[in-house]
Amino acid sequence: MSFGVTLHGMENAGTAAPSPGAVPSPSSGPSPSSGPVWRFLIQPRWLGWHLLMVVSFWGMLWLGDWQFHRALSGNALSWAYTFEWPLFAGFAVVFWAKTIRDEFRIRRGEIADPRAMAAQLPAGMGIAQASVVAGLDDGGDEDEELSAYNAYLARLNAEVKDHGRWHGLR
Amino acid sequence: MNVVKAAVLRYRVMAYVTGVVLIVLCFVGIPLQVAGKPAVANDVGVVHGILYIIYLINAWILSRKLKLENKPTVIMLLAGTVPIMTFIVERWISRRFIAPALASQVPAPEPVRPG
Repeated sequence: MSFGVTLHGMENAGTAAPSPGAVPSPSSGPSPSSGPVWRFLIQPRWLGWHLLMVVSFWGMLWLGDWQFHRALSGNALSWAYTFEWPLFAGFAVVFWAKTIRDEFRIRRGEIADPRAMAAQLPAGMGIAQASVVAGLDDGGDEDEELSAYNAYLARLNAEVKDHGRWHGLR
Repeated sequence: MNVVKAAVLRYRVMAYVTGVVLIVLCFVGIPLQVAGKPAVANDVGVVHGILYIIYLINAWILSRKLKLENKPTVIMLLAGTVPIMTFIVERWISRRFIAPALASQVPAPEPVRPG
């Protein structure tokens, strides 16, 4: 079996995507660090993720090939897995390409970063504690809207807590 | 129901359905297979294979909606292959990521104008 075409597609997802980011536009919102946006792709952390993706991609194709041979030698059930493993390998490539695309958008400030919401939580209050406030720790059966609103109130309260200092009140 | 809540619901449904089927596969199907009756394991195995594909897609969509980091995303996707893990991971994801995301979605109430 030859997977040259698929691999070529994967390389495109990995290396062609950075090219728009190679030209940093100063007007495109805040950039957390200096240098071109695509530089995050060669951080050790991300290199580790790239490696994991390449290994799992080839691993899944190998498993599909193995199931294919089992199917040929008479194991009818293996036909299902013969098609399932390459499908998973394809998912991995698509998921990875989209993850990187999203990361570019977040870093260029094109879309809001929901992860920043954690930073908006009250000082000294981790997300776990905020969940307690939100009532999600005790069974999780509580009304979602109410829990969300409680968490919102907790956040709002912490935001204005030290506000009086600016007016010389404290 | 907004887009994120719909994605959360679909993820939760698939997490529980896939989790239950995987428990049946591992704690009923596999022992029967060892005992020489592979029929249950074969059938439930195929069902879990199909459900897992649907789980993967829905978990992935939720992960993109929440813009999760890579680590929780990978953990969430792989949870569908480990017995009982979907339930544990669903609780963890809910507490750690879904609750804060939904909390920040609540719009600010109308300001009260004095007098």
